[in-house]
Amino acid sequence: MQIKVNDREIEIFSGACVKDALRKFSRREWKQVQQNRKAAFDRHGHEIGLDGELNGGEEIFIKSIELDKPQP
Amino acid sequence: MKNIIPTTIRTRLLPLVLVAVLAFLSCASLPPVPADTRIVIFHSNDVHGKIDNFAKVAAIIDAERKSGADVFYFCAGDNFTGNPVIDQYVPPGEPILELFNRLGLDLLCPGNHEFDFGLENLKKFAARARFPFVCANIQAGDLLPLLRPSLMLATKGGVKIAVFGLIQIEAGNGLPSTHPDRVKGLVFSEPLAKAKEMKKLRAAGHVLVGLTHIGYEDDLVLARQMPELDVIIGAHSHTRVDPAEVVNGVLVTQAGGDNRFLGRVEFLVRGGRVVEKKGGLIELSGPMAEDAEVKGMIDRFNRNPAFAKVIVTAPLAITGKDALGSLMTDAMCRTHGLDIAFQNGGGIRLNHLPQQITIKDVYTLDPFGNQVVQLAMTAAEIRGLILNSFEKGGNIDLQVSGISYVVRTDNLRHVKEIRLSDPDGKPLDESRQFQVGISSYVASAYDFAHRDPGRSLQSTTAEALIRYLQSNIDLNMYRDIKRAFWEKTIEYPRP
Repeated sequence: MQIKVNDREIEIFSGACVKDALRKFSRREWKQVQQNRKAAFDRHGHEIGLDGELNGGEEIFIKSIELDKPQP
Repeated sequence: MKNIIPTTIRTRLLPLVLVAVLAFLSCASLPPVPADTRIVIFHSNDVHGKIDNFAKVAAIIDAERKSGADVFYFCAGDNFTGNPVIDQYVPPGEPILELFNRLGLDLLCPGNHEFDFGLENLKKFAARARFPFVCANIQAGDLLPLLRPSLMLATKGGVKIAVFGLIQIEAGNGLPSTHPDRVKGLVFSEPLAKAKEMKKLRAAGHVLVGLTHIGYEDDLVLARQMPELDVIIGAHSHTRVDPAEVVNGVLVTQAGGDNRFLGRVEFLVRGGRVVEKKGGLIELSGPMAEDAEVKGMIDRFNRNPAFAKVIVTAPLAITGKDALGSLMTDAMCRTHGLDIAFQNGGGIRLNHLPQQITIKDVYTLDPFGNQVVQLAMTAAEIRGLILNSFEKGGNIDLQVSGISYVVRTDNLRHVKEIRLSDPDGKPLDESRQFQVGISSYVASAYDFAHRDPGRSLQSTTAEALIRYLQSNIDLNMYRDIKRAFWEKTIEYPRP
């Protein structure tokens, strides 16, 4: 299925979670998410959990977070 | 009197007027209720076995109940799968069942992971639950007799709350995201289409709630197509919606995932109509009051005796990445009927399994909760995967089942050739497609060309190993086993 991460289209297996899409998108970005320096958000600016289940066509945005406070 | 409304507008307005009149008559048919009723609905979703915060949830809900408001607690599904200590409990789902019974859960909309322990287990779970299941787009018949499409709850003063449930289905097979064998016999229909049939509930309840497990994006579509709803309490996408959004007049909310948040929606019903509504999330990570009894239950569940249960006594300790990787990949092949399977070295977290292998040992060996992903691959694509794995660390990385392979390099570790052999030692058929199993980690972190994007089998690599070890296999074969080889050719500079 096709997912967009930071506006770039990636193809990933069906049944993938947010963390799978982030890993596929960029090892560097994924590391920063693991270190809680960045987080994943949907197209509406809501934070999404790393185990959130994805459907084809969804969009994810990786953004910096300021301490514990998400900045959509 | 002259009619001043043009005919076209009259034609368009007439159905709306009729709907309004019918709605008024329907509301008028509801019994009278007190002038003001404050209703609080707490909600959880996508708990995935993360039970530790339920002592805080219990304290919050109990405090609200003592405040005099009409308090309800709903769950929008996916309570299983994600915490091995809880997932391996016997009987399956027991900690969730006991905790929800104690917390006084009012309703559960099943998510796709409610089926992860199979239908028979879910049936037993439902039979002992002190809360009903609600989902409109599952036709279960006798398979889940306690499931209802919708339900009517009432406050102490008689305000009626109509709730219907919806579960997601996959575009490909029309089933929720779980292994198809686990939902055999159930009939699922498209959730957003089914929701349209639920509009009739508006007439029966003062408050109309959609308790959904379809993901935030589809919750927004539902809100746009169904302004009759007062609130959509969602799940599946683990979206942290805080505060709740108002879309087309409908409050839409979801409480993230993994029990990190408790959702709270509040209504003010005046004269039988919702006049105020708001929603937000309560973060459960900080220090806060805990219910001592529930804390005790959680501590007991976390000491799961089944986790220490010996699955099998092997004739020998299984030692080294070659043996353990062979065991893990054989488990994937056998459990899921695959031709070939791969396991990355970094995902093998023990150097040996003792003779008496417990469930805890399996989850120590394979702790990441990776799913098995199935892809159709050619020999050339398999070579590409092995090449990428070798180049990542300049060494053999992938352990394998179903084939053996040799990576031949020069003395600078440049790969010159990758030879693939079938179990009889013959070169692998280059014209065939093979059903290959890899972990979701390898599928997403390794860079290799493959035409088939693959699909998750909705089962973890650790679960495959447990099932394999339970199947009376001869573990002697894992003595001195090796299937992946590195052949270094020393090349001298040409004279």
